[in-house]
Amino acid sequence: MIDIIFIMLSFLAIAGGVGMILFAQPVHSALSLIVCIVALSGIYALLSASFMFMVQIILYAGAIIALLLFIIMFLNVKDEALPDEPNKNTTIFFGAILLIPFNFLILKAFYTLPIKQMDILDSDFGGIKLFGHELFRKWLVPFELISILLLCALIGAVVYARKDKKNG
Amino acid sequence: MANMLISYITLAMILFSIGFLGVISRKNIFIVYMSIELMLNAVNLIFISLGRYYESMTPQVISMLIIAIAAAEAAVFLSMIVVLYRKRKTLNADKFTILSQKDAL
Repeated sequence: MIDIIFIMLSFLAIAGGVGMILFAQPVHSALSLIVCIVALSGIYALLSASFMFMVQIILYAGAIIALLLFIIMFLNVKDEALPDEPNKNTTIFFGAILLIPFNFLILKAFYTLPIKQMDILDSDFGGIKLFGHELFRKWLVPFELISILLLCALIGAVVYARKDKKNG
Repeated sequence: MANMLISYITLAMILFSIGFLGVISRKNIFIVYMSIELMLNAVNLIFISLGRYYESMTPQVISMLIIAIAAAEAAVFLSMIVVLYRKRKTLNADKFTILSQKDAL
């Protein structure tokens, strides 16, 4: 049963990713990226990471991709303004052939790890309590630095998007 | 199948390869950005599956920090795209050559 769910979720994730790089319209690509990300959140749930499952749906699908869709619809790019990509399929095909050896190298490295059964845990591993303990005991300084980074990104986005006074 | 580490790593590598192919083959700057997001997601999946393998919470915290960085990146990158589109009226990544040294030489 779990295997069938895993195969379906992986199929959805890969189909969403492939659709994302093949669609010509950015809106279609963003929607298929949402499919991919929601399927990935289901895979996080299979790995008994329940808090990351919620974070993935709320933050990625709900905030980041929603912001991306908002910008795409805000710019309202016409079909003729999209860049024409004549060599797209050829590059994807030969790039995929070139990437196969690298993937085999990394998979071979992971094959040397001892096999361990990874069933869904009954304990609260991956829950918000253990997550908060880990975050606020061992990772407090990176957490505070992330807040400074988010503030800098906020200021930077406002400064970039402000209208230039000289050019009108 | 769903209880082996290698199947999750395989899925993550496939997703990372798809994101890499998107970066090298597309010219639309929105799709380049989305491919970068897909690569970040694949790295998150490797982190979380290794965290389940070693039964440690540290990789989940790291992937949470990666998601926060991706949110900051989204804000800056998208406002940059808005400015570039307003000035150049195009989304073609090959046209944004204002920092290129080719003409100056």
